[in-house]
Order: sequence, then C-alpha cells, then structure tokens
Amino acid sequence: MYKGIEASRGIGIGSICLIVEHDLTFESKQIEDKEAEKARFNSAIDKFKAETAEMAENIRKNIGPKEAEIMEGHLAMIADPTMAGEMTKMIEAGQCAEAAVTAVCDMFIGMFSKMEDDMMRQRASDISDIKISLLKILLGVEDIDISKVAPGTVLVAHDLTPSMTSQIVKENVVGIITEVGGKTSHSAILARALEIPAVLSVPNITEIVKDKDTAIVDGTEGDVYINPDGDVVSQYVIKREEFIRAQAELKNFLGKETKTADGKSVELFCNIGTPKDAKKAIECDGEGVGLFRSEFLFMDKPHLPTEDEQFEAYKEAVEIMGDKTVIIRTLDIGGDKEIPYMNLEKEENPFLGFRAVRYCLANPEIYKTQLRGILRASAYGKIKIMVPLVTVVDEIRSVKALVEECKKELKAEGVSFDENIQVGCMIETASASLIADLLAKEADFFSIGTNDLTQYTMSVDRGNANIAYLYSAFQPSVLRSIKNIIAAGNAAGIPVGMCGEAAADPLMIPLLISFGLDEYSVNPVLVLTARCIISKWSKAEADALAEKALSLSTEAEVVALLKASAK
Amino acid sequence: MVSKVVKVTNEQGLHMRPATVFSAAVTPFDSDVKILFNGNQFDGKSVMMLMAACIKKDSEIEIQCDGPDEEAALAKAVELVESGLGD
Repeated sequence: MYKGIEASRGIGIGSICLIVEHDLTFESKQIEDKEAEKARFNSAIDKFKAETAEMAENIRKNIGPKEAEIMEGHLAMIADPTMAGEMTKMIEAGQCAEAAVTAVCDMFIGMFSKMEDDMMRQRASDISDIKISLLKILLGVEDIDISKVAPGTVLVAHDLTPSMTSQIVKENVVGIITEVGGKTSHSAILARALEIPAVLSVPNITEIVKDKDTAIVDGTEGDVYINPDGDVVSQYVIKREEFIRAQAELKNFLGKETKTADGKSVELFCNIGTPKDAKKAIECDGEGVGLFRSEFLFMDKPHLPTEDEQFEAYKEAVEIMGDKTVIIRTLDIGGDKEIPYMNLEKEENPFLGFRAVRYCLANPEIYKTQLRGILRASAYGKIKIMVPLVTVVDEIRSVKALVEECKKELKAEGVSFDENIQVGCMIETASASLIADLLAKEADFFSIGTNDLTQYTMSVDRGNANIAYLYSAFQPSVLRSIKNIIAAGNAAGIPVGMCGEAAADPLMIPLLISFGLDEYSVNPVLVLTARCIISKWSKAEADALAEKALSLSTEAEVVALLKASAK
Repeated sequence: MVSKVVKVTNEQGLHMRPATVFSAAVTPFDSDVKILFNGNQFDGKSVMMLMAACIKKDSEIEIQCDGPDEEAALAKAVELVESGLGD
C-alpha cells in the first residue's frame, strides 16, 4: 500500500494509464532568420490560445464556470504585453523561440513563487503550465489524448495540469493518482468537482507503476494499492458500493426538512468561523448558524476591532443567511486562544482562568463594543447572542444588563436594532450543567458546547495525549450531564441546542433525540450526514437505546452498545 | 501627466481576476498607465506586472496616466479600483 494526500473522496478500481512526462529539453541556438522565428513563435502562441480556449469551454460545459477560470487565466496571461512582448524582444535579439519562452516564464515563476500570498504562489504553477504547453507546441510533442482513454481508467501522472484535467471524461476515469499537489491544488479542486476519487502526492508513483497495472484509489483515506491480491480487491469493491450508496442516499436529503423517523422536526444549523463560511453553510443546506465564532475579528488584526468593523462582519453573515437564524457567540478568548495585543497575563491554569465571559465582564468597554456591533447587525436579520463559559447566574444577568444598556444608547442615537434579541448561555461547565434549571430562568436558550463540557466534566486537558483516553463525550458522567441540561431547558420551555462535535456524531444522535435536543449545530460538510442519521431514529427507538446506554457503567460499554445499534 | 492616489478595496487585493479586469479596461487608452506602489512602478496594462506588484487589500496605490487621453484613462482607472474591480 502507498500513502498520499486524500484529495477527492470515493473509491476507484481500474487499469492504469500512465501519463509520461515528455522530454522538453532543446538546444539553445542563435537565430539567423529572425522574422521566420517570430512567425514560428506567433503561430505557436495562436495554437496555444486556440487549444486553451477550447479547454476552457470544455471545462465550463462539463464542470462549471468557476473551474473554467483557471484556463481563462492562462489566456489572460499569454495575452499580456509583458509575456509575449518580452518573448518577442528576445527573439528579435537572436534567441530561439524555445529559449525565449523558457527565460520569460522562468523569470515570472521565480517572481511569483517567492511571494508570501498563497494565491500568488499558485500563479507560479499556472505559468509553469503555460511554459510546458508552449514548449510542447514548439517542439512538436504530442500528448496522450486523455479524452480517449478506455472506461475504467486510473490516471497516474507526476502532476495533473488543468489542461489534462479539462480533457477527462468523467464516465471513463475512475481514479487519479499524482506525485505532487495538495488538497487545494487545481487538480484536487477539479477532481472533487468531477467527483473522481483522487490521491495526490504519492512519492515516485510514476516509477512504481506500469501501464495496465491494476490500481485501487481510496480518495477518502489517501491509500493506493497497485496490483493488489483478490481479497483486497473484493474488500474494496464492497467499500466502493457502500460509498456510492451512501452518497446517493445523502443527496436525497438535500433541500429536505430535518425530521426524526416519527416526524418530529428539529433544527439543523452550522458552526462557522467567518462571514464567508456562511456561504458554505447555505451551500451545504444548513438551516441556520448555531455557532458563529467571533474570535476571527480579534485574531486577524493587530488591534481591537472597532464597532463598525464588527457590525460589518456580523451584517455580512446575517445577510448571507437571509431569514435564517444566526447565533453569535461573544468573545471567547483565553484558555488556548490567545490574542497578543490584549496582553493577557500568563496563568497557571488558563482553562480555569480569566477567559471568555469572565474577561468580557471585567472589560465592559470591550464587551459593549461587541454587543453594540451585534445589536446593530440584528436590524438586518435574525440574530441571537450566545454567552460562552457561563458558570454562575450572575454572569448571564450581568450580560443581559449590558445588552439593555447598549439598547438604550442605540435608541438614544436613533440606531435601529432587534428589540427582542434573545440572549442565551452556552452550557459547557460542570457548574452550569448542575444549575441548568436556575440558568434556564434567565436565558432565552441553551447551547451545549460538548468539547468544553467534556473537558471540564472529566477534568481532562483536551491537549494532553497521556489522558486522552478519558476525553470522550460518551463517558457516563458527560451523558448524564447532557441529559440534565436538555431536560432543564425543556422544562423551562426554552430551546436547547448543541454546537460541539458530538452533535454530528452518528453514535450520539439517537441519544440526543431521546433527550429532546431541539437544535443540532454541525460543521457545514456534515449537514446531510446528520440529517440522514436523524431521519433513521424514532423517539421510541431512541428512548429504548438511551435507557440502556445510561444504565452502563463505562465509556467502552456505552460506545460498544451504540456501535452495535448504529443505523 | 495626471495622477491620483486610491485605496484598493478588494478582499483579496489585486490578484488574477481584478488585475485582468483592470488591464483590459486601460489597454484601449493610448496613454501610458502606471501604478506606483511601495516605491516601484508597474505597467498598468500588464496583468503579470500588476500581480507581481502583490498589492493587498487596503493598500494605497498611485495611478499615473501620461498621453493624449490621460484624463479619460485616469478617470476610468480610478473608477474601477474604487468600485472594487468587479470582485
């Protein structure tokens, strides 16, 4: 087995077509007939433009307009006066066309590859692509026509250039393996758009394989098998069928309401970190935002973000979400999240220290700037305010008082906002869980943060590998805590959500259905998976399973039971 | 020669697409169009040079136009940058 980077999910089994790198070396020579050399160069440029335009058109039709932009970028670059212009100048000075192309392209590759900006570094690989295409035309080298490969082909190449990718016929290519490239490279993006399993950056794979070898490409795990024995093949045939079935099943859940098997509707929201992520939430069919982490505003800058900067960011997210709810978590710094300019003192126990709402209430001016930004944005959509790390009732009362103060100020200034904006608590400490009934009288909603709740309940530092075995949301104590929190919220008639990783865990979902969770907030890519799992369980089945699970004494027993009962 | 200082407002600065939009719009003018940034000069009609300038969001750049239609070229260039270059 060979390991690479998993770049596009799925399993492909097929026969290898090895794309050989051409020898593009040439002898640099002085040119006598400069006009003839210029004509040769110009016709190569024309051919390049025609081929590239055709590829762009193919990609637009078969994949999408966004992916076609890569090829359109190549066209814009070659049309650039500096590119072709400099090359022409060198030919006029007596260089051959191949040398001129190489020198000018290498100059730009050198320039772009030194830049700090990731996008700009990507341009270096674009120019390298242009250089190779031009040299092939000038040297008269013909590529394998990828559009003509047989059905069931696994493409193996050093690198898959966009020009190669554009020729791929989706029905015939079942997998892609390359020696270079990462998850965000052009080849990865195109492979995912085409839904072809791909494993990239497998060292020396072009030297290991021959044409017609059999290959298994596991783009989910990043594994590649060459000429595997029958057992492995049959095992992967089953895996492939399972993957295809699961994908098809998930697509059925696109645009559907989130309901349990017995028809109870629940809300399925997304966790996001920046306003841009809101677009992803919409694309992935999220029904709202259950956790908008506001820290990015504080981490990306060398100073505190102003009220206007915060307002703009919240407004952007809310406007993207339209009439859907956006729950903004107020500043959650300290602990593992440090912000240099805030000069927080180093603490012996940062997770038990001066962080989140504790810091905010001690610095009301900083907190009010954020609350005012949020309130102003609430005029543009449905926003709720969520307070992290609440441990005592006084904290939620103080935050509500500050919110009222901000409302009064805004009203006096004639600024509009949502008068009825809700303020809720995150329940993520052992204390908050034990007094959930008291907090429920003050808060408009709860959201359970399972990552911190597990850490604080188990007294386990999340980052300490020696005690990682204790860190599990399936520990009986954590499960009891979750159950109590949801029951307290239900009894008080306020909605209870969950925004930790557990909300999307197929093993945890039936328990949450049984406990009566109202809102699940998950990573956008897990929306359909969560919706699918929720749809499989009825309250009665979930109750029966939860009763058994809560009667068990150890985490291992709980997990074993849930795995055995998983749907 | 005419010139004006403007602020780049695109989220990702003058990357591929905005640079293409800019150079395509100023190329038809007969005047030379130059961008002054960080003490260097870049040809405003060249996508490659514009990208190579590595102009980030919120940077201030000076646009210089020199030629028979310099006023019109500058007006167009400034309008484009201020409107966010189609981003």
